[in-house]
Order: sequence, then C-alpha cells, then structure tokens
Amino acid sequence: MLKILKVMAASLTLGLLSALSAHAAVSCGDNSGKPATGEPIIIGAITGKTGPDDFSNSTKSALAYFNCLNANGGIKGRPVKYLVEDDQWNPETAAQLAAKLVNDQKAVLMVGNSSYVECGANAEFYKKAGIEVIAGVGVPRECFFAQNYAPTNAGPRVSMLGAMGYALDKLNAKSVACIGPNIPNVGTWSCDGVVSLAKEKGFKAETILMDPGSADATSIILKAAASKPDVIVLGMSKGVAVPLLTAAEEQGLNQTITFLSAASAYDLSVPATIGPAWDGKFFVNMEFNDLQATTPDNQNWLAVMDKYGQKSDPRDTFAQAGYLAARIAEKALMTLDPKNITRETVSAAVRQVKGFQSDIFCAPWYFGDGQPRHNANSSTRMAVSEGGKWKVVSDCAPSPDPELKDVRAFEATMK
Amino acid sequence: MNAEAVPMTQPQHSMSDTIRRPTVAFPLLLIVLTMAIFSVAVAFLSNAFWLSACTSAVALSLSVTGLAVLYGQLGLVSLCQFALVGVGGWVALRIGHAYHPPFELSMLAGGVVAALVGLVFGIPALRLRGLYLALVTLMLAGTFQTIISAWGFPDGGPGFLGRADGAGRAMLARPSMATGATAYFLYVCAMATLGFVVMQWHKLAKPGRAWALIRKGETVAVASGVNVLTYKAWAFALSGFFAGIAGALLAGNVGQLDGRAFSAFESLNLFALTIVGGSYNWFGALIAGLLLRAVPALLTDLGIDGYVTIGIFGVALFHALATAPTGIAGQISALIARVGRLFSGREAA
Amino acid sequence: MNLLPFLISGLGIGAVYALSGVGLVILYRSTGVLNFAFGAIGALGAHVAWQLQQWQQPLAVAILAAVAVATAVSFLYGRVFAPLLSHRDTVVQAVGTVAPALFLIAVMGVIWGELPRRLQLPTDQMFLTLFGVRLTATRLIALALAILMVVAITLLLNRTRLGLDMRALANDRDLSAILGVRIRYTETAAWVITGVFAGLAGLLLADLVRLQGTFLTFLVIPAIAAAILGQLRSLTVTAIAGISVGVVEAALTPIDWVSSYRAAAPFVIALAAVMILGAMSITTLRDR
Repeated sequence: MLKILKVMAASLTLGLLSALSAHAAVSCGDNSGKPATGEPIIIGAITGKTGPDDFSNSTKSALAYFNCLNANGGIKGRPVKYLVEDDQWNPETAAQLAAKLVNDQKAVLMVGNSSYVECGANAEFYKKAGIEVIAGVGVPRECFFAQNYAPTNAGPRVSMLGAMGYALDKLNAKSVACIGPNIPNVGTWSCDGVVSLAKEKGFKAETILMDPGSADATSIILKAAASKPDVIVLGMSKGVAVPLLTAAEEQGLNQTITFLSAASAYDLSVPATIGPAWDGKFFVNMEFNDLQATTPDNQNWLAVMDKYGQKSDPRDTFAQAGYLAARIAEKALMTLDPKNITRETVSAAVRQVKGFQSDIFCAPWYFGDGQPRHNANSSTRMAVSEGGKWKVVSDCAPSPDPELKDVRAFEATMK
Repeated sequence: MNAEAVPMTQPQHSMSDTIRRPTVAFPLLLIVLTMAIFSVAVAFLSNAFWLSACTSAVALSLSVTGLAVLYGQLGLVSLCQFALVGVGGWVALRIGHAYHPPFELSMLAGGVVAALVGLVFGIPALRLRGLYLALVTLMLAGTFQTIISAWGFPDGGPGFLGRADGAGRAMLARPSMATGATAYFLYVCAMATLGFVVMQWHKLAKPGRAWALIRKGETVAVASGVNVLTYKAWAFALSGFFAGIAGALLAGNVGQLDGRAFSAFESLNLFALTIVGGSYNWFGALIAGLLLRAVPALLTDLGIDGYVTIGIFGVALFHALATAPTGIAGQISALIARVGRLFSGREAA
Repeated sequence: MNLLPFLISGLGIGAVYALSGVGLVILYRSTGVLNFAFGAIGALGAHVAWQLQQWQQPLAVAILAAVAVATAVSFLYGRVFAPLLSHRDTVVQAVGTVAPALFLIAVMGVIWGELPRRLQLPTDQMFLTLFGVRLTATRLIALALAILMVVAITLLLNRTRLGLDMRALANDRDLSAILGVRIRYTETAAWVITGVFAGLAGLLLADLVRLQGTFLTFLVIPAIAAAILGQLRSLTVTAIAGISVGVVEAALTPIDWVSSYRAAAPFVIALAAVMILGAMSITTLRDR
C-alpha cells in the first residue's frame, strides 16, 4: 500500500513537472518571435511510414522544430521548407523519392530521414549528388557505413552491444542467446557483434536468426532457451519483440532468464503492452535520454512538440532523433551567409559540425569530416520495464562494440 | 469473356489468307510506333521522380506481357510471376557483380535462368489447370518469399549469396550506353518494345494458333497435330524469360533490389493488375505496369497517406474487375474500333 | 536436440491454420470463391476486440463483437460484391477478394496504425506442462475449436437441408439451380459461416501470434496451403493438414540449416503433395 502511494506521489510530481514545463519557454532560431519571410531553403526527408512499422515520428518532430525555427527568424531571415516523403518500406519507391527531392525539388540537405530501406537504396545516390544527410534513425548497416549519411541514433548493433555490456557488467551474465531477424545487414550484423564481443571477453554466445514474417514465436523462444543462457538479447522491431516476450512469458521464462533488447523495443507503449509479468525482467537500451527527462534540451523538445507539433505526434525516441537532426541542421546552416546557401556550401558546413551539445545525447555529436562512415552516437543508457513504464537504470556508457574501433580512433584525434 | 477476346485477332487471320505479310508486320509496326511516341513523350515531359517511376512501370509491364500470354492465350494462371522477376533480378545482380560483364549479358542470364525456373515448375504444373495451377504457383511465390528474405539480393560481396557484409553495398552498373536516367528509361522502353513485339508475333503466328487450339480443348489440339506439351512449356518459358528480363531492368534502375519487396502478395497483385490492364491486347501490359508503379507514384506525389492509397487501389481493383471483363485495354480497343467504324461509316455515306 | 517441445508448441499455430483452412474450404465448396480476404476479415475482428478491451468492455462482449464484425463484413462482401463476379472464372473470383483485403488493410492502417498490440485472453495464464513445455489453455481452446468446428460443419453438411444444398452447389452449380436450390441464399449462408471462422481464427491469431493488420492478412497464404492439402474439398483432411503443417513448421526450428527457411514449410509441403498426387494420378485435381 505504501509502495502504491509512493508511486502515485512520484507520478503526480512528474505529471506536475511536465505540466509546468509545457509552459516553459520554447527555444529555437534567434528566439525573436519574428516569422522568417525570405526565400525558402529546401530541405528533404524520406521516412518509412506505411508498412510493417511507422518510422515517421522522426520527421514529424523535425517538422515541428522547423516550424518553430521559421516562426523565430528562420535561418537569418530565410525559412526552411521541409519536404517529407513516405517510402512505404519499398527501396524502389525510396529511390524514386530521392530523385524527386534531390533532382526535382533541388533540396540542399536531407534531415531526419528514418527508414529501413532508404540507406541501402540511396546512399550511393546521395554521394553522387553531393548532398549530405543528417538522418534521424538509421537501422541497417548501410546507414552507418556511408560517406554522406550521418544518423543521430546509435544503430541496432551499437545499441544491442550497449545492452550486452550492461548484461555483462550489471547482471553478471556468463552466457547469452542473441535473437535477430534473418534479414542480411540487420540481424546478422547485430548478433555478429555479440559473438565477436563474446570472443573478446570470453563468454558464451549463441545466435538465433528468425524470419520476422514467421508466425511461430514460441519455437524461437524454446530454441533460445534450450542452451540455458543467463540472458537473451533481442534485436527485433517492437512488432516482433512483443510476441517473442509474450511467448516467453507463456513458457514462464520471464522467471528464469533476463531479457534485454536493442533500442528498437524502446517504445512507450511496450511496458504496458507486455504487462506486469515483466517488471524488472525486461531491459532495453536507449539511444537517447529518457523521454521524460527534465533536462533543458529535452524539455525544449517537448515544448516545441506541444507548441509547433500535432497533438497526435508521438513523443518517442524516434521523435527525439528527428528533433536533434533538425537542430544540428540549424546549427550548420547558421554558419552560412544566407545569400549563399547552395548544396555545396551546406554540405561543407554540415561536414564541419562537431561538438554539438544536447542533453538528449550522451556525448557531443559530430559529423566526422572525411570519414568513410559515421556513428557519432555510440554511448547509451539502459531502462527497465516497471509498472507499465520504463525506468532508467544506468548512466551513459560507451557501447563495447569491437567494430567501433575506427570511430573511437577518430574521436581520439578530435580531442 | 474469353469469347470476346478472340474476335480481336480473328479479322487479321481471315485477311492473312489474301495478303499475309503486311498483316503480321502492321500490328508489330504499330507497337513500335506507339511505344516510340510514349517513351519520347514521357522522356521529355517528366522530372526525375516520374522518370524513375515510369522506368519501373515499363520494366514491370514486360513481366506482365508474359502473364498476359499465359492467361489471355492459354487461360493459365501463374501467381508467381513477381517471384520470377525476383529470380531474374537476383541472377542479374549475381552475375553483374561477380564478372562485371556488359549489362546485356547479366540481363540475358537473368532472363534465361528465370525462364528455366519457370519451366521447371511449369512442367509438373502442365497437368493442372484453373485455380489449382494458380494456387500451386502461389505456393511457389510463398517459398520464394521466404528464401529471398533470408538471402537478400547480391550486392557485390563474396560467396554464393554475394552479400556485402563488410563493405558498403555495390550498385549494379547500368548499360554503358544508357547511364543517365533519361537514357536508361529509353533503354528500358526499347527492351519492352522488343518484348511486346516478340509476344505479339507469337500471338499472330504459328504459336498463337497452336495456343488458341489448346485453349479450345487439348483433344482438339492433339487431333490437329499440335504438340500440346511443347507449346505450353514454351509459353511458360517465354513468360518466365520476360519476367527475368524485367527483374534485371528493375535492378538496373535502382542499382540493387530488396528482398522484402518480393512477397507472395506482390505476385497476386501483379496478376490482378494484369486482368485489370487487359490480357488480350498488347498495350494491356503497359497499362498494368503503369497501374502498378505510376498510379501509386501519383498518389504519393499528391501527398495521399500510404494506407489510403492501398484502399483506393483495392476499390479500383474491384471496380475494374467487375465492370471491364477485357480490362482497360479491351475497353480502349473497343472505343477505337467504334470511332473507326464511325469514320468509315461517314465515308461510305 | 529434443524435438518434443517443438511439436507441442506447433499445435497452437497448427490449430489456427486448420481453422482458417476449413473456413476457406467451406466457402470454396459452396460458392467457388477462394477468399484471399479471409485473414484481413479476421484481423479486423481482432482489432475491434482489442479496442473494446481498451474501452474496458467485458471479454465476452469483445469476443462476440469480433466474430460479429467479421461475419458482417464477410456477409456484406458475399451478398453485395461477390455476385458481381459470379459469372467469371474461379481465378477472377478469387482475385476479386484481393480488393476487400487491400481495403481492410487500409481501414486498419488508418484507424489503428502498425503499433505492436497484444490481445490477451485470460486463458493465456492457464496452462498444463507437457515435456517441459507449457501448453496454454488458449492453444488447447484453438485445438478444440478446430475439431469442434469440423464436426459441426460436417453435421451441417450431412444432416440439414442447407448442407444438402451446399453439397449440391459444390457438385454442379447449374444443375442445382435447375433443381431449385436457392443459390443466392445458400451462397450467402456460406459467406456467413466463413465469416464466423475468420472472426475466430483472427482472434486466436491475434493472441497467439500478434495483432497487426498486414501481417494477419498475409497469414491467409499458409492457410491456403492447408486447404490445398485437403484438395479444397475435404474438411477433415484440411484440418489434419493444417495442424500437421503447424507442427512441422515448429519442429524445423532446432535444425539449424533449415531454421531460417521454416516459414516456407507450408508451401513446400503443399507443393510436394500436389506433385505427388498429380504424378500418381490418385486424384482428379480439378476445379470444384
């Protein structure tokens, strides 16, 4: 009873805090309150809205920020015209839309892209066209191994290994089963990371790849549990992670094995969906700060969403990514002479971005000029499902992904 | 509905007794002319977005033309055509990345392998007909969906699957004579025209007559000395070949393909649009291709929600099925015939 | 590795394949329409049930509403739209049902989106342990329901006037019409029955697999595999085939080299069966 009261009191204060902060001042652009009226700057975005999952929250949030920016002086008087297209999870469509935005609409920059298929289809095209992409959420490997594509998120592999690191350090895991989708460059990539870390640190790891279109989750869970691992890490989208957890609960495995997941299952709806049986039993990696964090930039994000976004726009981790991408774009554009904003000048300015501070990130974000690949966000936090909500349980920790050696080496040269 | 289709080709047959050569040549020339006008018009009028959408549309219409022959001429239903497109694309990418031959060679390889696959699965299916054949091919499409989602398409990596897990994905080079978007569109149009002409020739010449006989009844065909098995198998092979070519052309458009785009439902969709486009006229395939790629592109361009687009598609599909048994192409050709009669009637008066 | 746990776990999905397969066959036998929208109709019902649960309605109301909605949609299509295509060949009639499938995907996408949802039934918490695997009551219900429905439909076909009419239609449509079988009435009845099947299968799939519109829509294809194995005629064989297909799919999980391809099991089994039956000419593979 006392515990319930405590929880209620805590949520009440939280509620009050967020209610108060909703009225907090919104900060964007020059904060002049004067709408920008100059010639628009065309910025494009491709997102996967219609399909197995809806990734468009990133661009919705970026749009809210650009609206805020345009209402506050824009880029030295020039507003941003933000064009968002839905690739419908089809690479062919993604390529058509990239041609439309870059060649037809003459976009100078892409911001907030979040798609499962777009990186693979368009990374080469962006490179040829000389346009830079400050993406929101990248998923497959291609998003992190392209010259002109820099996502703000950490990616499934880095995120999964962040979870793995937590399992090793805090949960004393000695053996693990990794469940990933059998889609090349996504599931194999993530689980290979776990296996190579296992070799490095000397723990037992097993990989189970599943067809996300398969109807039978119970068999996958039984197979994973057969090797009697201490922990099971999931690299599935939330749509597949939830049935896997359901199947595990059905088999009573939530009582014997701890489950962790990459950030793909970090969605506000998940703890309530999987229910109280998973309280303290399901950990998830977070690529960004807690969604309800009371830190200034996170509060600014929520305030921007309230004032310039739609009420129905989800306030989730994808939205944080889009907000950050828009802010980084703003920072780059502000360094330019407003009369000379072309694809070349914008690309040059974006490549120079470094030391971008936000409390939503664990570490300052940088583009990494001249690097063949980009993965600036590589320190993550962990949260656990509790009482229908996520509870943050760890501070920022660098992901132990062995593949990040080149990124770490570059970061060392920047200091 | 099948009866309605036959008269369209019959007048040409009856005329062919007197003047044979021009009757076969004229419809073929008409195809070339129409395609030339279409492709030049699109190339001049469209921007990069539309050019890309139309390239996909024309490439896919090549795969529809195979389906249309199977269904329109033989009454056979294949629900794995999109899977064969995938097979052709896979082989073209595999060969292209492994040996870097001219694009045409990779494309031909894709076509030939898809034809073989179509044939291998077609032969046992030759005994089946109607819905049974359709469902067997749907099972094939389902199997392909599972395999391709696990394999993915080759993108320049090592090994049998050719997956580039270590480095960035490589793109399939376009033909050296058509590297630009407009040039490639025209290239695809030329290939499609070639395909349409070959198919139309088949319909007008000996194979078409054999197919018509088989359709009337296999006993009739056998009695007339037609080798039923060969002609049926040939139709399957031809249909598979063009599906494979379409896959290679699609791969050339984007530079790569994605396994998730080749689900069994896509094959079902392709067949549905073949009927809607019209399987008795050569340009039905072009219409189906445009419906498959250009219409969704239009709706996307208008900013319509993806789900609403799917819904509109569903409604339109049913409407077309219910109101136009010979498809849109059938309606157009009926219209042309009516206009033609009007004019000739006036001249006579 | 011990196969037994996987065999047990495959029973649940297998039962739903069986239920869906039987629902497809009963409609096909009576009307000649293979319903590709079967999964979508069930998914719509399951979404309605989920929504009612969110609105704190009792479980019984949610289940009844799901089945009612699925039946109503099926009735609507069968009564209003299917007759528009009834004079065309079977393939066109089947392809026609792709239209409502697409339309329902759109409806579900616009209203509910693609968020992962979980439809929970109280029976998920009850289980009995067999060979170290928990078999939940929901799975047992699915199994029982599949058997029950086959028995009920068989009785209907053999003992009632409607069943007689349905069998007559399945044999020869034109002859039945001449003999005074009320074709429209009988066909509509078949659409209603298949709607009930779709609603129940949708509910169970949403609980056992996941509640996601497009995903559930496409699950009709493995159910068709079961129907093919029953040669689109036999309800009992279809039901047995459905359960076996589910069990085989699950049993392939521990075998590493086929594990990633196991989703193809229903299709490969159906293909093999058709080839073998065709080659041995045991049966007349024909349309209706």
